[in-house]
Amino acid sequence: MKIIHVNGDGRFKTYEQGVGRAMTGVIPRRTLIGLATIMAALFLWWLATSGLRLLNPLRLPSPQEVWAAFSQITFGQGYGGATLGQHALHSLLLVAKGFSVAVITGVPLGLLMGWSRHAEALINPIFLLLRPIPALAWIPLAIVWFGIGDTGKIFVIWLTAFVPSVINAFTGVRGVDTVLIAAARTQGASTLQVLRHVIIPGAMPLIFTGLRLSLQASWTTLVAAELVGAFFGLGRVLNLAGQDIFPGMILVGMAAVAVCGAATTWLLGLIERRVINWRPAV
Amino acid sequence: MTKRHNRNFLGPAGTSLSRGEFWTLTIAGFTLFFAIWSGVAASGWLPPNLLPSPLVVWDTLARLWHQPFAGHVYAEHQLASIRRFLMGWAIAVGIGIPLGLLMGWYRILDEIVTPLFDAIRFVAPLAWVPLAALWFGTGIGGPLLIIFVGSFAPCVISAYRGARLVETRFVEAAQTLGASSRQIMAHVLIPGALPSIIAGLRVSAGLGWQSLVGSELIVVGAGLGYLMVQGQGNLNTSVVIAGMIGIGVVGFAIDVALRAVERAFNRKWGQA
Amino acid sequence: MGAGLSEIVFEGVTRRFSLPKGGEFLAIDHIDLRVEEKEFVAIVGPSGCGKTTLMRMAAGLDFPTEGRVLVGGAEVRGPGPERAVVFQQFALLPWKTVRENIGFGLMCKATPKAEADAAIAHYVSLMGLSGHEDSFPHQLSGGMQQRVAIARAYVMQPAALLMDEPFGALDAQTRIVMQEELVRLARRNPRTVIFITHAVDEAIYLADRVVVMGRKPGRIIETIDIRPLRAAGTWEALPIEEVMDTPDFTHMRSRIWKLLKAREQERPASP
Repeated sequence: MKIIHVNGDGRFKTYEQGVGRAMTGVIPRRTLIGLATIMAALFLWWLATSGLRLLNPLRLPSPQEVWAAFSQITFGQGYGGATLGQHALHSLLLVAKGFSVAVITGVPLGLLMGWSRHAEALINPIFLLLRPIPALAWIPLAIVWFGIGDTGKIFVIWLTAFVPSVINAFTGVRGVDTVLIAAARTQGASTLQVLRHVIIPGAMPLIFTGLRLSLQASWTTLVAAELVGAFFGLGRVLNLAGQDIFPGMILVGMAAVAVCGAATTWLLGLIERRVINWRPAV
Repeated sequence: MTKRHNRNFLGPAGTSLSRGEFWTLTIAGFTLFFAIWSGVAASGWLPPNLLPSPLVVWDTLARLWHQPFAGHVYAEHQLASIRRFLMGWAIAVGIGIPLGLLMGWYRILDEIVTPLFDAIRFVAPLAWVPLAALWFGTGIGGPLLIIFVGSFAPCVISAYRGARLVETRFVEAAQTLGASSRQIMAHVLIPGALPSIIAGLRVSAGLGWQSLVGSELIVVGAGLGYLMVQGQGNLNTSVVIAGMIGIGVVGFAIDVALRAVERAFNRKWGQA
Repeated sequence: MGAGLSEIVFEGVTRRFSLPKGGEFLAIDHIDLRVEEKEFVAIVGPSGCGKTTLMRMAAGLDFPTEGRVLVGGAEVRGPGPERAVVFQQFALLPWKTVRENIGFGLMCKATPKAEADAAIAHYVSLMGLSGHEDSFPHQLSGGMQQRVAIARAYVMQPAALLMDEPFGALDAQTRIVMQEELVRLARRNPRTVIFITHAVDEAIYLADRVVVMGRKPGRIIETIDIRPLRAAGTWEALPIEEVMDTPDFTHMRSRIWKLLKAREQERPASP
């Protein structure tokens, strides 16, 4: 609950908590400090690994090693049979496919269960049984059924991403204010019209929350699945690098996973802002 | 005999199921699940070693209880998993929650830590496995790191949000009554952040348990994940499914326990 | 006249706020106001006239851009129990019982338990909270919660009491009851009080002096002494509904409304 002066009078300090930005000149202070921290971290990293050689390079690769690995896999002969771009694309496509299938099957089911208490009572037991099983636990079964090819991966991603979509669509529907439904009915709306014009828009914010969770879960699961066994993909890169004891490449793989995850999340955010344009930014 | 009016046109809020309807449908749901499972297994559409019937799985589970598989009996695998999970989770909670609280209260800390946090947040927990192997070899440090990474973020985020969202008027009230900073922290900020923290614990435990399972798929040792991998390697599907059941049961139990804590908490303090 | 221990003085107080998009907003413009020791002053005005800001400055929760705020002759540097605050939204700590809430300030000062318990018990019975000592705020009605808040403030034996629309969140009936109770309490336990409200009735009924403020920018339109009226009409002896029926009261109410309306109409309507 630190103290920041609010209106620049400087004479006193005012309690400040939770709101407001302190500005220094044109660039927000927050950005400056953020950049400074990252630079400091990078510097310390370099110092520890190659500058002062504090750490065994096998434990933590130096920035140069990471760069070398990065160059190799991106511009050079590649790694694990393909370049970074190809591996990343492969992973991205799998996530996209699995995620799409999960959303297309999950959201409608969630909407149905939300709207109809009968459907909820019938389908809930199955959910109760399957939900506690973490997605990753399905990987061995998926391998037994589908081998380590793409189908197995998509299956597991579908399983992971399915549940949050259903649950959030369900909660979204239940959260729609009954008064709105009543108002629509008094104007003669049919059930289908109520669903289309009241329920679905009303449930959208929560549906997107579900989508975000599904996406995160998809990435986690895909990386895990690829680590366990795959021909291509970022997880495969990580796995190989681990076996080859190639620390630089391990970090490259981790960074690639982070970048892809962040990029897809950002993309989803864009879509969300376009679709839900009736609410002030949360 | 009162007639119950169903106002179905209002959607779920206007519909209510009688006890009979509810239980019939619920039981039907369970039955449906097992029926489909048994049906597919029995139809021979998939070879029996790919999808054993529920009875075979039950049988396997009973056997595993007494007969060691991959070096241990079932309960020992379970305990190994639970132990690892609790250790890793405890570290994440012990570091993450205080960190989140401090970040919420001290803006400068927030500004320093958040960029680092954001950079690392998107690395899926299992992506740490090769690095963990590099650092810890086959020791317990590996799985602990994975579990830590998986459960850390929700702890920090929920503590952070909890700290930031403590209403200013409570802090002001305490200030006007002469409370020192330390007293404000103890009597206002921490209790105020608690609901968010407890909700975060549930999420964090779920993710931590999942990460534990994942780490056991790859790292060698005892545990339910290890059990499944061994089963998969032997194409012994019923062992795999038996492992999944164990994982589900423990995960469910953890969630139920934390949910109860959350409920008890809300009931006592009554604030959203 | 020397400064009393709890005299509150606003000297040329101005408050400007920086707007997020640049520029400044003048909330209060060079206000001079002196609240004598043990005087009950009510400040009335429309939303945004800065009356709450004035009170917060006396409380030490906000600071003037120009000018000074003095309490007991000393410049205000921060919040403290000698200037107790009663908030509109009660601000009771939800995770503490009634007893713990009332005793919070005492605990912070490390008051010995016996002494604290006695003080808490005194105010619990005074404010009609007996039987609810171990309840949590969310189990109480709005009126009860505000009683706890008032008890919490009084138990600190503050030199000054600052009340920010304390009855604003209550329903009309509870509000009237609380007004009567507050008058009784204030006559028994006189202190320097600044009472913020936008309800003119309330201000006239409770206060020794009413300060009428206008907005954009916040300035004092007029200060009216109610004491002569109260003495002449022996309001002390009458129940609240009869007081509010007396011609003196209704005339005063009209007068203040006219002042407020005139000030609002001086400038083109803007929310």
